[in-house]
Amino acid sequence: MLSRQDTVAIFSTFIQFDYDRFGSWVTDTRLRRSMRQALSKITTENSPGFWSLYWHRIWQEQPQGLAKSHLAAYLQEVCFWSATKTIGGFSSSQYTAPDCFQVAIARIDKVLQGFDRERGFNLKSYASITFSNLIRELLRQKKEIDICSDWSLLRKLSQKRMSEALANAGLDRETSEQYILAWNCLKTIYVPERASSTRKLPKPDRATWEAIAELYNRERTTQLNSATNAVTSEQLEKWMLICVKAVRSYLFPNVTSLNRPKPGYDSGEIVDSVVGEVDESLLSDAIAREEAQERGQQQTDLNQFLTSAVAKLKPEEQKLLELYYSLGLKQADIARELNTQQYSISRKLSRVRKNLLKALVQWTQTTMHISLTSDILDNISSLLEEWLAGYYDNP
Amino acid sequence: MNATDLTIFNPTDLVLELNPTQCDRAWQRHQHLADTSGRWQSYLNQVALDVLLPWLQAEEDSTARAFNSKGQADLWQLVNGTAIAIKDAKLVLIPTEAEDQSELRVPQEWIDIPEWKADYYLPVQVNVDAGFVRIWGYATHQQLKNGSFSYGDRTYSLSDDELITDINALWVARELCPDEVTQVAIEPVAELAPARAENLIERLGDRAVVMPRLTVPFTAWAGLLQNPDWCRRLAATRRGEATRTPVLQWLQQGMANLTAELGWRQIELAPSTVGARSAATADATAVPAFGLAKRLEIENQPYELKILPLEEAGSWRFELCCLTPGCTIPEGFKLRLLTEDLQGFAGNEDVATEPVTQLCLEVDLEPGEALVWQIEPTPSNYRVEVLQF
Repeated sequence: MLSRQDTVAIFSTFIQFDYDRFGSWVTDTRLRRSMRQALSKITTENSPGFWSLYWHRIWQEQPQGLAKSHLAAYLQEVCFWSATKTIGGFSSSQYTAPDCFQVAIARIDKVLQGFDRERGFNLKSYASITFSNLIRELLRQKKEIDICSDWSLLRKLSQKRMSEALANAGLDRETSEQYILAWNCLKTIYVPERASSTRKLPKPDRATWEAIAELYNRERTTQLNSATNAVTSEQLEKWMLICVKAVRSYLFPNVTSLNRPKPGYDSGEIVDSVVGEVDESLLSDAIAREEAQERGQQQTDLNQFLTSAVAKLKPEEQKLLELYYSLGLKQADIARELNTQQYSISRKLSRVRKNLLKALVQWTQTTMHISLTSDILDNISSLLEEWLAGYYDNP
Repeated sequence: MNATDLTIFNPTDLVLELNPTQCDRAWQRHQHLADTSGRWQSYLNQVALDVLLPWLQAEEDSTARAFNSKGQADLWQLVNGTAIAIKDAKLVLIPTEAEDQSELRVPQEWIDIPEWKADYYLPVQVNVDAGFVRIWGYATHQQLKNGSFSYGDRTYSLSDDELITDINALWVARELCPDEVTQVAIEPVAELAPARAENLIERLGDRAVVMPRLTVPFTAWAGLLQNPDWCRRLAATRRGEATRTPVLQWLQQGMANLTAELGWRQIELAPSTVGARSAATADATAVPAFGLAKRLEIENQPYELKILPLEEAGSWRFELCCLTPGCTIPEGFKLRLLTEDLQGFAGNEDVATEPVTQLCLEVDLEPGEALVWQIEPTPSNYRVEVLQF
């Protein structure tokens, strides 16, 4: 991949794939104009790091504005490398890097919402860990769901995910609520009959469908908000098949369609149809610089602290962190490398992370004088993740 | 199950091995349940507990234990979730088969029944085929109470970005900010009248009622569950077992575990009276050789309520005394017995008109007759208890 050098390009261009490989950078002219305007307003700063934080701040104030697109452009490379690296950790996958890239970049909100601008190191390392986690989960779920029968698949997802899948399939809220109740009735009545048989559940027999329909028809009067009609077992079976289909296509969208260039991008240039859409909410030079300086000092301190904390760990613990965070190895491989058992890796890693987290929390408490709550601990935990990812990524 | 098949999980997830032996053992404990949905739920909770409790004890807190180990199996038939007590906090595991980590869904019972509510709630993915158990975060009672509530299935839920997705944060929080507020105040659940409870046990005890927890209004359901005896009897009725264990039978069969669960213990009768009767025999009309005692706390003082069989079959004595040496029962205290439908009868009350050493009542009962006891002032943690004789 040809990496982008020019700050304007970094915040206004997108990857165009050529089948499953990087093809070229495509410019969004509206973003290009907006970026140029911003650079002319704050002339003293040209580094992409500065501008990523700048747009992040603007995005927080105006989530619907152009800032998000600027950040999506900025995070293209990180997302691409996260996809490539994570996919390498899986022995086989029908997914290509562009597939994973598309799924991950579509969830950029998770990155932007989770990033802590005051304490975080930089958006790139935070995005890297977040995208990698998203992709890893996706691939793991795909693997599990690929070996599940339709009827087992229905047990393998949360209600929230099911609602999202049904909404994605175009069902209105009312219909979706009926399907979800029916799905819950199915999960209640049709349970596995043996200790380990959750992947290959066969299609329920007629009597079971009748029982599910009977339960649904009884529960609908109390559990559903709106008046609904009774259903037959045949209807209910159809609903469940629609659910299965919705879930499979929601979790694993047909990526060729995602991969198709969006309208307006295909010519390589976006038509300047509307003038004056550029954000007017640009920050003043002084405010932006002050924020950047404060962060700089905090980061240096934090970085020093964590570097020395890691250096104090036992050699095998350091090795574990390095293997886990730098190489994207499978746990089985790490276990082989460290000559230990598969599951003890998760336990060991958890123990090492806990000690680091505790040290970091204590340090934060004394240097920043904050009173701790679970929420703050959560932030500090993702800060630690971000630091570890960054630290082992650039030795 | 193939170890090399296992792909990496995210670094903040805690993934523990679940081996086939553990699965089989857990399955064997619950496979007799005819209620298939209750069986599967019991199995998943058992597996989650069997894997996580030893890990907790080894890594975080050697005192960790199942919160209600005796009543737990009954409860699993009715509500999803497993409570664990650690040093100074209570956790509830919420097992799920979902592969995705989009949300934590907690049954209302765990949030809104005062004696059930906990400090922390942990989503636990159980994948019995791949052989792992995974914890991917936690939330506090406070967070869940402020989360979204679904009236349809009576659950509180939080989406993944509202959860704390690193279980390590919990242990660090317990250590470094133990005073953090985790719970919010909730309304007490009104006591049910015993007759209403009997009626509910009969109605919901029918296995044809597939979703008992959603069949009656929450206040009625919660009122039933918060009483350990009623909860046990509901679960037993759904298993098709006879549930009203007469006091006499407790004593004759020495059902120590059952009585202990409800706070009663067997006591030997004083030597002067024991000589006058024969030892316990299988004969149902024989007078038992043991009595029952229950420790109570009234106005921060320890008391004991005793139920003692008298020499004549069917005659019983209820005795309340103070456990602190030299202490007397203050003026105004009342010991009262009522029929099952909470009606009084002649000679059903003993009142301390001055400080006394004990309050006592003697009653003659027909076999199968049931009583409810009350004390004024009401002991802390008092629950209506129907004793069948």
